[in-house]
Amino acid sequence: MRAKTGGARKWQNRAYVTGVCFGTAILAFTVFPVGEWFHAKGPMNTGHGKLACAACHKNAPGSFRQQIQANLRHAFDRRDMPTPFFGRLPVGNADCLACHERPNDRHPVYRFLEPRFSQAREKLRPHQCVSCHAEHRGRRVTLAETGYCVNCHKDTRLKKDPIDVPHADLIAGKQWDSCLGCHDFHGNHIMQVEKSVDKRMPAEKIRAYFDGGPSPYGTTLRYKAKQDGQ
Amino acid sequence: MAKQRFWIACLALIALSIYLFVSAPPPLEEKKAADAAIPVERMFEILKAENDVVRTMWTKEVVGAGKQTGLKFDESWRDPDVEAGPLPALFLRETAKSLEKNPTPLSLFLGSDYPVNSANRFEGLQLEKFQVVKQTLKPQFFFMPDIQMRVAMFSDVAIVEGCIQCHNKHEQSPKHDWKLNDVMGATTWMYPSESVSIDELLRTLAALRQGFKEAYESYLEKARKFANPPGIGEHWPAEGYFLPSSEVFMGEIAKRTAPQTLAALSSLASKPQSGSATSKEEGSHVIAR
Repeated sequence: MRAKTGGARKWQNRAYVTGVCFGTAILAFTVFPVGEWFHAKGPMNTGHGKLACAACHKNAPGSFRQQIQANLRHAFDRRDMPTPFFGRLPVGNADCLACHERPNDRHPVYRFLEPRFSQAREKLRPHQCVSCHAEHRGRRVTLAETGYCVNCHKDTRLKKDPIDVPHADLIAGKQWDSCLGCHDFHGNHIMQVEKSVDKRMPAEKIRAYFDGGPSPYGTTLRYKAKQDGQ
Repeated sequence: MAKQRFWIACLALIALSIYLFVSAPPPLEEKKAADAAIPVERMFEILKAENDVVRTMWTKEVVGAGKQTGLKFDESWRDPDVEAGPLPALFLRETAKSLEKNPTPLSLFLGSDYPVNSANRFEGLQLEKFQVVKQTLKPQFFFMPDIQMRVAMFSDVAIVEGCIQCHNKHEQSPKHDWKLNDVMGATTWMYPSESVSIDELLRTLAALRQGFKEAYESYLEKARKFANPPGIGEHWPAEGYFLPSSEVFMGEIAKRTAPQTLAALSSLASKPQSGSATSKEEGSHVIAR
């Protein structure tokens, strides 16, 4: 190989230095909080704008080195199991409930783990918060449909029905889009439930609320979400 | 040049090996499969026996005796304008709710084929298993593949007149001819692994007791705010307008459950066990995958 001339070597060194500086800057941008918005999958959902990545994306047990070591040991048959999680833990219900757990939740996610909800789980996956509240979508509720009550309430019967059109008639007429017009799914709003079906909130207002708009159920909450799980 | 690259690669590999293995921190703790693990069915039976003691105590000595001495119990007990405590089914639900907050992956539900609240009506596989429980009075153990959970169902029997009177009179009840000792429903217990270590069993037992404690404390918290709060301390409702303190209540549970729980644990501890710990987070991640 021919030796490089002095000028070429100088330019090569400058290219190295530029590359290292550029790489370090990109690394710093992805590691430090200032660049969090850049590598998030999308805009944060309604009310989550001030959350740091680490509020939900927790580190997996052990350091990177320990995790690599454990997986290599497993590859060479020196360990029974690889590490279940590498880098970060997956975000689960517990991360959501750290801020949103309340004693009055009408539909807590764990209830849907009961065996009898297997069909609802298959269709809707209501036992996971993210099934309806997928993060990084810039919305409040990411479930497209508003008539999801059909999955569990087809057989609901009330002996003393307080509304002008009985629930049984609404169910028989498959008016599943009407439920959320009077009922707040998680039941955290302090509100007077309408007794006249005609006075229910229109589906457009519910959809606008899903998209991050104002609450049609009022603004008075029984429990406010905790900040960063505190 | 090729030789130079070879040596650079060798050095890099040696440096990586030293980084990963020679100078590495201690290896991550490994959760090993238990060599002589306890079948999860055995754990369910121990937990169910504890729950039976507490459920009977709550039904007879808190609700039953309390009603005679001026305490009130209501299905809307959580409402701010209601001065009452949880009925037996709701006490169990409070316990179940507390269990869900605990990292131990144990879940507990109460249901029936004729529930007062239609949301608690058994359906599908759970209804099929309940029919067997009802006919045989024997527990049913099965596996739910979609959530990877081991399930146990135990009968829930009408133990006092209060149970049947309340259910027979309730306007939302779909059945009004309950009799004493009828199987009114079943408790459903769920856990993600088919076997547990003794450590895991003890942690789960502690989680259930913590659930009882939190359920009772949430009632005490409410009772303290009554316009005429009951005396809270050493005395029980049978002695007057009193409620036992959390310590007294939990002490009584420990005393009454000790003979059977200790006997069951001693028989299990005679075999060597090793760990197969599972947490609620891991359980939910299994579902997430």
